Amino acid sequence: MATSFKQIEENLKNEARKLLEDQKVSLVLAYGRGYDENHPVPFVAKIAADVENIVFNEYCTANMARYLVRYPRGTKMAVAVKPADSRAVVQLIQEDKVKREDVILLGIPVIGMKNSKTGEVIDSKTTCGLYNPVLYDVLLGEEIHGQPVVSPYDVLAQYEAMDKDARFAFWQKEFDKCIRCYACRKACPMCYCDPCFIDQNKPKWGEKSPQSHGNLMYHLTRFHHLAGRCIDCGECSRACPVDIPLYLFHKKVARECEEMFGQAAGKSIQDKPVLVNFRVDDSDKILE
Amino acid sequence: MSFEPKILGIACNWCTYTGADLAGTTRLQYPQNLRVVRVMCSSRINPSFIFRAFQLGADGVLVGGCHPGDCHYNTGNLYARRRLAVTKKILEFSGMEPGRFRVEWISASEGNKFAEVVTEFTEQIKNLGPQTKFKIVK
Repeated sequence: MATSFKQIEENLKNEARKLLEDQKVSLVLAYGRGYDENHPVPFVAKIAADVENIVFNEYCTANMARYLVRYPRGTKMAVAVKPADSRAVVQLIQEDKVKREDVILLGIPVIGMKNSKTGEVIDSKTTCGLYNPVLYDVLLGEEIHGQPVVSPYDVLAQYEAMDKDARFAFWQKEFDKCIRCYACRKACPMCYCDPCFIDQNKPKWGEKSPQSHGNLMYHLTRFHHLAGRCIDCGECSRACPVDIPLYLFHKKVARECEEMFGQAAGKSIQDKPVLVNFRVDDSDKILE
Repeated sequence: MSFEPKILGIACNWCTYTGADLAGTTRLQYPQNLRVVRVMCSSRINPSFIFRAFQLGADGVLVGGCHPGDCHYNTGNLYARRRLAVTKKILEFSGMEPGRFRVEWISASEGNKFAEVVTEFTEQIKNLGPQTKFKIVK
């Protein structure tokens, strides 16, 4: 039986208080109360008294690994990680953005998280579908076992079966909705480039105003930059104010990378990201 | 008038570009639809170059590099192989015809192969017709 959200919140508070009081970390990345209970916000606890403001409930979907790269290298941090978030931390460690010894992962096994916008339960359709963090120092609840194992890529089948013209029309319709608020980029734990390619003026890679060709350029290049790195938390699609199903494309690219290179993102800190690595015996078939 | 495609060729300095030179010096005939850009290595190619070329009106993109293992910089084309494979998959899933983008390994001594590949690829693009999906309409 899964630990209740109330219990996890209690454990999270206790653990955060202990870490801050012992000065093992200088900050704890967790969730705080937003304007109501259904809209928790990212929260940084810096002193032990801040811990009272930490909350955890089924709407705490934000990926807190996003905030790790905002602090100077060497800052000791503790971060509350759900299963997908722990993969993000692993991926950041692989890319040497944070050091393993600088982060303490407070793992949270979750089941039944909900999308605060729609109230729907989040499952393997939009996320990686894991129940337990892949890497943690402290686990704030019992590990979840015995749940049905569903491939996170099942949702792709109907889009792959589409005719390519229909698929282009589908994506064009979706990308035309884009208002270029860059919420997807802000929510993504792997999007830390400064400046982002789309913000550059020399060379100017794509149109910055929300026009369809600029949108296409931005999104396709972003999918490419996240190839083999996207850890499938689905936060980009939840952050999107116009509900573009970005997770579909990310899942597709993630699956292709997994099939071609035999390695999924963020599973082990010993791995190297697939696109900064190669094998001499990679097959030329992948180019066909 | 028959359709004459615009094809962007991105060729690596050490193999494909030299191979193209060889095709020229041996006076091999190949279609003039290819516009070659020289880069120092196939791993120099930013995938955005390819998206951008399609947006700016290319009907096809042909990337040429050294044979794997023969890279002047030892490992450049091995990285490029993985990267361009992903580019291809992304183009495909976005709805672009997969035949419009091609990667070939052509060494400096393969002038014949260069001419053959260009002829074949141009033929393929002619059959696919003009590329309208990514092209920016003014």
